[in-house]
Amino acid sequence: MTQRSVTHGTFVIERSYPVPPARVFKAFADPKAKAQWFVGPEDWNSGPNSLDFRVGGTETNVGGPKGGPVHTYRCLYQDIVPDERIVYTYDMLMDEVRISVSLATLEFKASDKGTHLVLTEMGAFLDGFDKPAQREEGTQGLFQALDAYIATLTADA
Amino acid sequence: MTERSVTHATFVVERFYEASPNRVFRAFEDPEAHDRWFVQGEGWEVAEYTHDFRVGGREGGRFSPTGDPVVYSNQAEYHDIVPDERIVSTYSMARDGVTMSVSLATIEFRAEGSGARLIYTEQGAYLDGIDQPTMREQGMNWLFDALAKELQREPAGA
Repeated sequence: MTQRSVTHGTFVIERSYPVPPARVFKAFADPKAKAQWFVGPEDWNSGPNSLDFRVGGTETNVGGPKGGPVHTYRCLYQDIVPDERIVYTYDMLMDEVRISVSLATLEFKASDKGTHLVLTEMGAFLDGFDKPAQREEGTQGLFQALDAYIATLTADA
Repeated sequence: MTERSVTHATFVVERFYEASPNRVFRAFEDPEAHDRWFVQGEGWEVAEYTHDFRVGGREGGRFSPTGDPVVYSNQAEYHDIVPDERIVSTYSMARDGVTMSVSLATIEFRAEGSGARLIYTEQGAYLDGIDQPTMREQGMNWLFDALAKELQREPAGA
């Protein structure tokens, strides 16, 4: 029998971007924009992916190393305030095993320099498959990809 | 323009019930039992509620304090269910159609002595100052009092 356990954790990631909130928001709201940065490592298998960005809409992102476990991200959008806020919940599965359930809030705040972005993620990590610190590290990696994507927007301007 | 804000908070409620983990779990799983203690709260008029206890199931309803025109609604989704051991769900609460909170709730059931310990952990994002974590914690304590009464009923089939 599996020994059941739940670890609860919260982490916050903040960023400052020299573009207005609407442009940062679009990186999350627009499927084509999000596909530019919300991806696994280059050598991973990827898909099927989908994004239905509306309250009650879902997002799926599937990927994993060749020959390795399939990572599945399943998200439900709970609250959307255009250019200001996105609240969503998501599951992470490794093959068929659910390893965590999370509640995430993205706040897009107008600042003198452009946008102050704050992600607050609260999670329930199940049966020891993943840990809050690992998730934070993985999410930092995604934000580095977002940084690079936002940098291409400013280069175009 | 509305001033937007988000308050994040986590609270834990623990209860010991003189009932087996299976009996306590059944009070969440069985729609009739769940309806008695969770949905039909004293002082509330329930306009509608649907139960859908399965992984991926979505349930919720609409309700008003007796004599008050304000309509509250909840929309929940079950994410993880381990019979007699664990339920993980998320839910949003709205007042007159305006979302006021989104929460992640974990319930753990543990056999302890002659009964069961229930550990409820709620992680929440409270939006635009409409609701407060302390109010929610109080509401959950009332619900777990109602669950104690439910568990004092004759077990079904006994």
